[in-house]
Amino acid sequence: MRPVAVIGTGQTVHTKDRVDVSQPELVREAVDAALEDAEIHPDDIDAIIISNMELFEGRALPELWVGEGAYGTGKPVFKIATGGTSGTSACIAGFHQAGSGSFDTVLVVGFEKHSEGHTQTGMALVDPFWDRAVASGALGNFALSISQYMTERSVTQVHAALVAVKARRNAANNPYAHLQMPDLTVDKVLSSRMLAEPLHLLDMCPQSDGAAAIVVSSGETARTRGKAAAWVHGATTRHDQPYLGDLDRRLLTTRAQRSAAASTYAQAGITDPLRDFDVAEIYEPATYAELAWYEALGFCEDGEAGHLIEDGVTSMDGMLPVNPSGGVLSANPVGASGVIRVAEASAQLLGRAGARQVDGARTALATGYGVYAWSDVIILRSEMP
Amino acid sequence: MIHESAIKLPFSYAAGGVGSRFLIALRDDQTILGARCASCSTITAPARSFCSNCNRAVNELVEVGPGGTLEAWTDQPGTGIFGLIHLDGADTALVHRLTGSDAWQPGTRVMAVFAEERTGRITDIEGFTSEGDST
Amino acid sequence: MSDQQPEYIRTTIELNVSWRYASGDPMERFLRGIEQRRIEAIRCPKCGRRYLPPRPFCGRCKVRMDEWEPVQDTGTLVAWTVIHLPIIDGRTGEPRPSPYGMGLIQLDGADTTLNHYLDTANPDHLTIGARVRAVWRDELHGAMDDIMHFEVLP
Repeated sequence: MRPVAVIGTGQTVHTKDRVDVSQPELVREAVDAALEDAEIHPDDIDAIIISNMELFEGRALPELWVGEGAYGTGKPVFKIATGGTSGTSACIAGFHQAGSGSFDTVLVVGFEKHSEGHTQTGMALVDPFWDRAVASGALGNFALSISQYMTERSVTQVHAALVAVKARRNAANNPYAHLQMPDLTVDKVLSSRMLAEPLHLLDMCPQSDGAAAIVVSSGETARTRGKAAAWVHGATTRHDQPYLGDLDRRLLTTRAQRSAAASTYAQAGITDPLRDFDVAEIYEPATYAELAWYEALGFCEDGEAGHLIEDGVTSMDGMLPVNPSGGVLSANPVGASGVIRVAEASAQLLGRAGARQVDGARTALATGYGVYAWSDVIILRSEMP
Repeated sequence: MIHESAIKLPFSYAAGGVGSRFLIALRDDQTILGARCASCSTITAPARSFCSNCNRAVNELVEVGPGGTLEAWTDQPGTGIFGLIHLDGADTALVHRLTGSDAWQPGTRVMAVFAEERTGRITDIEGFTSEGDST
Repeated sequence: MSDQQPEYIRTTIELNVSWRYASGDPMERFLRGIEQRRIEAIRCPKCGRRYLPPRPFCGRCKVRMDEWEPVQDTGTLVAWTVIHLPIIDGRTGEPRPSPYGMGLIQLDGADTTLNHYLDTANPDHLTIGARVRAVWRDELHGAMDDIMHFEVLP
């Protein structure tokens, strides 16, 4: 693929209920913010990609209603609807479009109005012959996988709670985050309401309304503009089999993630992830998932994730800050959450991350995760490939 | 083997800024609002947030109709008779029910009929009837 | 213009639509078996993996499957949880009665695990490695919830 770069990003403040905006109006807020950050005019956009799921929001053809909100009239508007990976997969589709030579500047926008629908149920609305009767839903699926993960990888509820504390304290530096808890402690996490054993309320992501957008341009345009850009050095999508029971101990084997990471690391020349990356924005819907991702992404050996969080290696002042934004644990408008990872990673490289900036960040990792095991891995750098 | 399965879920959509103003005008004032674009002057009706022509954000809402001209119509057995109505003052057409007759002609003048009980939904307009028939 | 907060309208609409899905041959055979209190897995001729739910292709090997093997209604619990925050059952619009147990069960004779309900009468008995057995409903219709839940064997 020809070189492409992210030249601007924008987000709404993610929150519990945006009754004051319709879905198109929510999208417009993020789009205007991204266009302003990129310093481009709506007329300069050649193609638009929307990330959102029909059944989570309860209306067909999201791109039809919200297309105007994304300045889509008369332009090609495509939709990506892949659950949690929707946002990152939409960004990757944007990279491919801008890198194809057919489109020079591509807008990618993801959104969700959780206040309007039933996202958790959406995960159990899949196979009509099987899952609708007996699937566990998003929360139950995680709880099941976590019961296996804890047993085999010596991870405790305290390790998980440390992830929650890191996330919500980081989020206090992020003006867009839904949950900001600068005073969160392990005890507060462990005494929060039990949702599905062993997941406490504060182990789980919130349900947010929000939108996020990025502007992707061809390398030629990014180069001749003479402004800062976050260059794409690798991107891979991997899907897996359709039932939870197909995925042999899914948080342990994490095969889609390991495959996506191996491919992307090879594309970008990454050999020692913990040291090669300056910052990572990884998609963690639950605290334990972040620990499993440390292993899947090669930040540590299998079984060492607990030590990584205990030793503060992934804290803001650690060797590899993970989720300075607060992550999905602090804001989860599902259709947008993957775009937020890429937007946050890009903002770090563009030096626009404000109070959550990792100084001198030049190589960033962004990941997406969704459904049972779909995985996206994206690597961005300050320099052209 | 055929398996019949329903999806039955309530959803609760936000009409948003412009959408709420449009629905409140139907409910409280029996008035139909269009959105006038400051950039290209297009009047989109029913009013919505972004100009149907140039997609700029629209803030100015203007009254349109309640009369208009029927552009096209269809009779769907089991669903009803629907028309594409070009409201006076609007640049776009609106799909809604036609009432009071089984057969229609494009070009006919029609008029909005408001429901007695209105709750802030598009069905606060019950339908459009031939202008000659409305009082 | 008054200083009041503007009124924002919410429109509530119940989506209530039904579809008639074709099962395909493997699922039809499987569910007709369930109606007879019989469980089967479909096996990949290349990797030997015994799948349920059945499906026409092995995703890993990309080959068609048409060989079947019997599966017991007993198995081993490989994952479990008790859910306190229920999901809305998308078929009815009502929340599932909670709390409820869910597990991943390695049925004797299958290689994939089955995600199904667990009896929570004795929650202390829910452990990874516990032996479980299906509790069938009295009337069977050829659907996955003809099995009500799995109970832990003493």
